[in-house]
Formats: sequence, structure tokens, C-alpha cells
Amino acid sequence: MDRVFRRRLEARLGPKLTGPVRQRHDETEIRIGAAGVTDVLRTLHDDPEFRFTFLADLAGVDTGTVMQVVYHLWSDVTPDWLRVIADGLSRDDPRVPSVTFLWQGAEWQEREAYDMFGITFEGNRDLRRIYMPPEYTSFPLRKDFYLPDDAARSPGAGIRHMEQVHVPRSAPPATSIRRIRA
Amino acid sequence: MTFVARTWNRLTIPGRVLLGLFLLGGLLTGALIALIIFSEPILELLGANLPLVRFVGAATVVLLMTIPTAFLIIYMEMKIIALMNLRLGPDRVGPFGSLLSVVHGLKVLMKEDFTPTGADAPVFTLAPVVTYLASVMTLLVIPFAPGLFGQDMNIALLYFFAISGLGVVGLLMGGWSSFNKYSLLGGLRSAAQVISYEVPLVLSVVGLLILAGTMSLNQLVLNQAGWFTDWYIWQQPLGFLIFFIAATAEANRTPFDLTEADSEIVAGFATEYSGMRFGFFFFAEYVNVFIVSALTVTLFFGGWNAPFPFPEIALAFDPGSLGIALLILVAVVPVVGTLILAMPFYLLRSSMPFWQALVIGFVLFNIVAVAAVLGWAFVSLEWVAGLLWFMLKTYTFVFIFVWMRGTLPRVRIDQLMGFAWKWLLPASLLNLFVTAGAVVLVRELGA
Amino acid sequence: MTATSSRPSADDPRITLDQELGIFEPVPPYPPRTEREAEFYTLGDGQMFINMGPQHPSTHGVLRLVLKLEGEQVVDLDPVVGYLHRGVEKLCENADYHHTISQVDPLEYISALFNEWAPVMAYEKLLDVEVPRRAEYIRVLSAELNRIASHALFMGWMALDLGGLTPILWSFIERDEIVEMLGALTGQRMLFNYFRIGGVNGDLNHDFMSRLGDWMTRATDQIEANLTLLNTNEIFVRRMRGLGTIDGQTALQMCWTGPNLRATGLPFDIRRAHPFSVYQELDFDIPTRIEGDCLARYLLRLDEIKQSLRIIDQCLHRMPDGPIMAKLPRLIRPRPGRAYAAVESPRGQYAAYAISDGTDQPFRLRIHDPSFIHLQSVGQLVQGQLIADTMAVMASLDPVMGGVDK
Repeated sequence: MDRVFRRRLEARLGPKLTGPVRQRHDETEIRIGAAGVTDVLRTLHDDPEFRFTFLADLAGVDTGTVMQVVYHLWSDVTPDWLRVIADGLSRDDPRVPSVTFLWQGAEWQEREAYDMFGITFEGNRDLRRIYMPPEYTSFPLRKDFYLPDDAARSPGAGIRHMEQVHVPRSAPPATSIRRIRA
Repeated sequence: MTFVARTWNRLTIPGRVLLGLFLLGGLLTGALIALIIFSEPILELLGANLPLVRFVGAATVVLLMTIPTAFLIIYMEMKIIALMNLRLGPDRVGPFGSLLSVVHGLKVLMKEDFTPTGADAPVFTLAPVVTYLASVMTLLVIPFAPGLFGQDMNIALLYFFAISGLGVVGLLMGGWSSFNKYSLLGGLRSAAQVISYEVPLVLSVVGLLILAGTMSLNQLVLNQAGWFTDWYIWQQPLGFLIFFIAATAEANRTPFDLTEADSEIVAGFATEYSGMRFGFFFFAEYVNVFIVSALTVTLFFGGWNAPFPFPEIALAFDPGSLGIALLILVAVVPVVGTLILAMPFYLLRSSMPFWQALVIGFVLFNIVAVAAVLGWAFVSLEWVAGLLWFMLKTYTFVFIFVWMRGTLPRVRIDQLMGFAWKWLLPASLLNLFVTAGAVVLVRELGA
Repeated sequence: MTATSSRPSADDPRITLDQELGIFEPVPPYPPRTEREAEFYTLGDGQMFINMGPQHPSTHGVLRLVLKLEGEQVVDLDPVVGYLHRGVEKLCENADYHHTISQVDPLEYISALFNEWAPVMAYEKLLDVEVPRRAEYIRVLSAELNRIASHALFMGWMALDLGGLTPILWSFIERDEIVEMLGALTGQRMLFNYFRIGGVNGDLNHDFMSRLGDWMTRATDQIEANLTLLNTNEIFVRRMRGLGTIDGQTALQMCWTGPNLRATGLPFDIRRAHPFSVYQELDFDIPTRIEGDCLARYLLRLDEIKQSLRIIDQCLHRMPDGPIMAKLPRLIRPRPGRAYAAVESPRGQYAAYAISDGTDQPFRLRIHDPSFIHLQSVGQLVQGQLIADTMAVMASLDPVMGGVDK
């Protein structure tokens, strides 16, 4: 845990953060809104104080209530991984600016997040499905996409067809979706 | 016509077969009778056109010869590359797997002969024939042994290059008519490659022609008789190198096998081929290897000449002088030999029944007898010795081709073309001019 | 009976296809949906598409490449992945923590130990569990062996894609020895399923140690001898040098890691940049090369093999005694939280991001695979090269489709 780095983050990005800076093991976590992604990541990338030149990972997360896009960054100024969570995207139409202007390699990772979660990355010039066939319509890693196993597991729900549009026609009541405190 | 069709349709299958056999028998009988009646004029005709008859006969023999040659080289390639890869290679069919390529041939025969939709069917079908014939016809002029060649043309070398250059037409036809982009790329690649390498290939031999003063391959071989120092390789080392490299490219062998680079364009011109049509392409490739090796040996390594003047061994006795005893000998020796060879096995291994020992003895006797006959033929028949030396040298080169395939990666197309035009062509021109200059100089000084 | 016999069969010659048959054009049958797709699937003058894969002799699995060609020259390239997509991330959400280890095993099947390592490390962070030092050493030892096996195989593959038949089989000897060794240690030859949350599955045994000791004495010589066939081969070196060149900054922008990034001169290695396990105690160098071309990527792996041998040697000498598993309950329920763990796999940064919701199943397990990242830049690297080089460039990045497609 790098306390100095935490204070620096708070000082530099204070107003843009939507939650407290959390630290655990070798990870520092900050939360920002979708609107702040461009600014914050540009600052982290370009500022000589941070120098987060390496995008370690880009992932989508469905918490059951909201969508998140999670960036993991690496820099030589701190021994920690920096986790930036773009929080609070609506599950109906999640939109977040693309980071391909900083890291071109994020293109396919954003495509994957789009394919699996339906998160739209504005500014990505190649936002197609990557794993699923092009005519596929649902988003498999969302929490309301059930595998047949899940159906057997959730009480009272019958086995549904694997492929379904956004909200399954015979969806169980919203309470049975697995959720996490975001 | 309808009558014939209706009758044919009413016949059962055995009936159809019988009818066919009947008609065939009738035709053959008629032909035989005609042959007997007109035997004199036919013989006269054949006698008058002896070169033509000889040509057709030789072409048939050569065509029949290519298949075992291809089988042998395919087996060599499988086995040698396997050993180089530290694998076992074929080891199931026949002794040491040596019949595997025959089985491959049968497999190719039995596979579906498939023509893709959209292919230009006549061209698609003709392409393997053209390629195969081009490689087979070049064999006609190669002197295998003294007196053992199809045609002794005075322009044999020119004929060779002309006909072997035809092979590329077949590849191009196959590539174009397959209706497939990989095939097209392969065909065009082969056209570009073969045409480019034709130039240094022919130029590299011109120096040798200046030295020899003849284009007849037979005469070239006769020129190299004597010790191995008389071979043209010592006078034309550069020419040999260029010839060998260009010939490798001509035969589409690694490292110049871009036409069927499997990691790039799948199988090149042969992508859409299956069954025996693919088999023809496949065989043509290996026949080409044999031909190229044979020509290298003929031009630069003395052909069927032994590397040193082989001492003439006069046989102590003439089998003909034995008279009736020869017949008795022929009857007795196999039995006695088999028994003698079987005895040790029977006596020393108590578990072996007598018939097994006899079988072993028989096999051993056959080996000994064949060896004896071959030895006798080698000593007393000139062409057997010549053929043996020729094949020995040729298969050495076949081995080198296989070795290269096991060792070298493939070159890129631009490197391939650049090498032909930037290095091989100037080098072959240099070789040509230096040789010509040397010949003139020697003549001037000698005079 | 009648129902089945009246069903149309594909073999029925009477069925005429309503589509006119032509050369297969790999153009999608719908209007382009993105800028890039529209740009790619528009043909210029004298250009054509050629479809490579998913069944092609040299696409390293089920990758499909759509090439835009001008003659033999590649103008642009669009990799199409997903033919091997198994939805491992979704499966992991529905499996308990122990079970996920065997789920992620077959991702990068060439170097399976690293696949297990990253999620296991993430879970250990979630659980705040300390791994015994002996277990850490065993992990490093086995993983470095696996790295050598993977690199050896890569070097053979590289040659195979350039048309050399022999090196792949020679390098398989090396791989086979290591895989047998790991088989003696873990019980399986390919998908080891060896790492456990809080340790490893079994201690070092005599079979493994004797095989390893036997192999270590001749490993370096043997590997180098195997590769002389290629490294000094003029054709091979000429084809690889200056091919698919990329500079360090671009590589960073493309999120490259591992040997491919180090071949551009940046000494970025997770083992040093963000040390995990016991790598901090071990003495090894991070080899780099500055050329950034295929040959550099190829030769760098040879240097890495040597460093891995050094690490293995040190592991054997420093191997501490003690337990190989931390004390953990059978049923694991980590506190809600998030953890990210990355390891340096033979292909680059292999990472796992795990979210726990307090149940016995991970709420989300994100697998970050380096092959996936590297594969997307093939298109940039081969622009203007020839078809023959497409495969060479792709092979030099060493993608494993099992990892790309998850």
C-alpha cells in the first residue's frame, strides 16, 4: 500500500473522484464517473507525476445494478496497481468514452467488453462483436443472462433458451439476479 | 439408336458384362487375324519408320518407369526426413515401410476425383496430364547406360529444356482453372519462378557446351569417360552450382517450393485437386527430382561412367561351354543350395520345424543367387555396370534434394526473384564469358 | 418414416442452391457497422480479399484472417476470432473457487501453469492468505520449466511457418522431456491443474527430481544445439530480419507485454516491474533487444530460456523446507472485494481480476490474455509485406488461440 501515492491521487484528481480512494494489498482503487474517464486517464497517462503509460487490463463488470468499466494501470512511480473504476453506468444503455486515443491496444479489449456486456465505447472505431457471431443479440456476461445450470439453480425458473434479447421474456423477478454492492 | 438403347436397358448387369466381354473378344480376334494377314506390310512399315517406333516404344517404357521411380523417391523422402527429424517414419507396410508409397498411390487412385463447381473442367482435367507428360518426355533423352537411352538426339539438351519448360504450363492451367484464389496465386508464382530460373539454368550450361562442342547428352557422357577428374564438374564448378540451384527452383523443391507453400497458400496450384489428378501432380514433382538429378549427373558427373577406369575382369569360364551339364546344374544347385543354407538353422535351433528352416534357406539362396547373377552381369555386361553407376550417382543427388528439404526453410517470393535476376544471371554470364575466353585462349596458345 | 425421408438432404442432387456459386468472398453479408469495417471491406483498384482460416495449415489453431491483397502484397488484414470461444469467464462465475482453477487451465494450453497462477494469486489476495515459501518456490520452479517448454515449442513453430520441417520436431524433444517431468510432478502432461489456493497440489517427488537433475545437466547445450539449424541459417535470418518491426512506444500503446515488448528494447517484465511470488529473492536478468523485429522476438526467447534455467538452478538450491499448503477451510468464502493479480507468462502479462461477493463462487473473474492483445496488432505489422510474411509475423508474436478466444 502506497500512502504517499494515495495522497497524491487525492490532491490531483480530488474533484473528479466519486468515491474514496481504497487500498488493499498492492492495489489502489479510485472511482470516477463515465464523464471523467477521458480527463482522468489522460492526466494519469501524460502527467509526469504519474506516468501511467501501461494499460494492464480493461474489463467490463456487471454488478447486477450498474455497469462498470475497470482499468488497471501500471507506472514506475508506484509499486501498486492502479485500478480506475468508471462507475454508475446504466444497465440499459451503458456508455463510456473510449481510451483508444491513449492506448490503441484497448481497441479489442473494448470490443470484448462490448460483446460481453453491451457497453458502448464512444470513439472506438471498430466496435463490433468479437467472440460472438455478428447476428447474436444478447450479452453473455451480464448477470441476467442465464446458463441452463443457473436456471436449474434458481427456484421456480424453468430452463430458458440460451440466447435471448436483453431482458429474457420469462425473466425471473429482479431480486434473483446475483448482485454485489457496487 | 432407340433399339440399341432399349436393348441395353433391358439387359441385366451380368448380361451387360457378358455382352461387353463378347464384343471385346470379337474385336481382339479380328485384330489378331488382321495382324496375321497383314504381317508383312506391317513389319515393313515398322522397319521403314524405325526411329518413330523406337520413340514410341521408349516413351512407353519411360512412362512405365516413372511410377516405380516416383514411389521409390517418395519413400526415400518420407524415411530420410523422418530420420532427420528423429522420427521413425513409415515402418508398417512392407520391410521398413518401403511399400507405404505404393499404398499411397493406391489411396490416391481410390479417392474421389472431385471437380469444384465453377472450375474450367477441361483445362482442370488436362493440367495434371500436361505437367506429368512434360516430366516424363524429358526422360527420353537421358542416357542411362551405354546403349540404354530413348533417343540420341544431337539437340538433346535443347529438347530437354524445351520440354521441361512445358511443365509450368500445366501448373498455370491448374492454378487458373481451379476457381480458387490460392490456386491462382500458386499458379502465378510457379510461372514467375520457373520462367525466371529458366534463364540462368540454360545459361549455366552454355559454358559446358562450348567446352564439349556438342548438345547430345550421349556424346557429353562419352566425353567424360576415364577418371573422375575428366568430369565436367572440375572445369565448370560455377556452372554446376548455378545449374543445381536453378534446377532446384525448376523442380519446385525446398527452399524454392513457393508454389505449394503450405504455410502460406495451402497447396498452391494443387489446392482444389484430389484423387488421381492430384496424384499426377504429386508424381510429377518426384519424377522431376529424379530427372533433375539425372541431368546433373549426366552433365557434370560423368553420367554412366565409373569414377575410375574399371578393371576388366575376364570370367574364368564360359557357362555355355558346359553343354548339357549346365541344365543339370540349374536343376541341382537350387535344391542343394537351399538344403545347405537351411541346415545350420535346423541343426542349431532345436525349436525350429524343418519346413521353417527350408523357407529361410530358400530365401537366403535366392539372395545369394540374385547377388551372384548381378555380379556376373555387372562384370560381363557393360550396360548393367553403367546403369548401376548412373543410378548410384543420381540417387546421391536425390538424397541431397531430400536433405535440403529436411533442413532449409522456404525463401520469400521477392528474395527468390531477386536471387535469380541479381545473382544467378550475372554469375552464369560470367561463367559463360570466362569459359569462352579460356577456350579461345587455349586454342590461340595451342596454335 | 415418411417425415424423415421427405426431409431435404444436402446430398440430394435435385436440390438447387438458390445462391449462385462463385468464389467465396469473405465479405460479411450485412452493411458495415463500424468505421473500420467499412474501410476494410471496401476494395480499391486491383485489390482482392483472400480468406485464411479457420482451417488453414498454419494459423495456430482456429484463427481466421481476412487479407486484403494487392497482388502478393498485403494491404490490410482483419483477424476474426471467436471460433474457440468457450465462455470460460461465465463458467467461472458459476463454479466454486477451487473449480475455476481447472476451468482456466485450458486457456493458454501451451503454458497452462501460468493460467492457474494468476487466478490463484488473485484469490489469495481476496482471502488474505499467506502462501508457504516452499510452495512459492515450487510454483516458480514448475512455472519456469513450463516457460522453457513453451519457448522451445515457439521456436520450432516459427521455423515451421517459414517452411522448415525439422526444427519443430527437434524442439518437441525438449518440450516432451519437460512435459514428462511436469507430468511426474503434477499428474498430467498438459493441463496440470497443480496450483491450489494457498499452495500447490503435491510436493516434489523423486521421479520429478531425478528427471529434472538428469535434464539440467544437458539442457543448455541441447537447446542451443537444436537451434543452430535455424540461428545460423542464412535463409531464415534474412527472412526474419527487419520484418514486422515495431518501436517501443507504439508497442506500449498497443498494450504489448512480455518477450514481444522486450524485443523493442523496453525491459518491462512483471517479474521485476511488479514482483510477485519469490522472484524478488532470485537473481536473473531481463534480456532485451532493440531491433523490435521478428528475429529479435525469436532470439530473445532463446535468452529467456537461459535465464529460466538460471532461475530453476537457484530454486533448486534455495528450496526451503516446510508445508506446501496454507491452512484454509475446504469451503472458501472470501470477504466481498476485488483483487487483481498478474504474472509474467511466456507470452506476456497474464492477469486475473476477481470480484468476490461473499459466496463460494467468484462474482466475476476477468482473464487478461496477452495473446489476445498481441494478435490485434498483426494487421499493423504486416501492412505492405507479402503473404508469406503474414504467417511469419503472426507466429513471431506467439499467439495461442485457446487464450485469445477464452
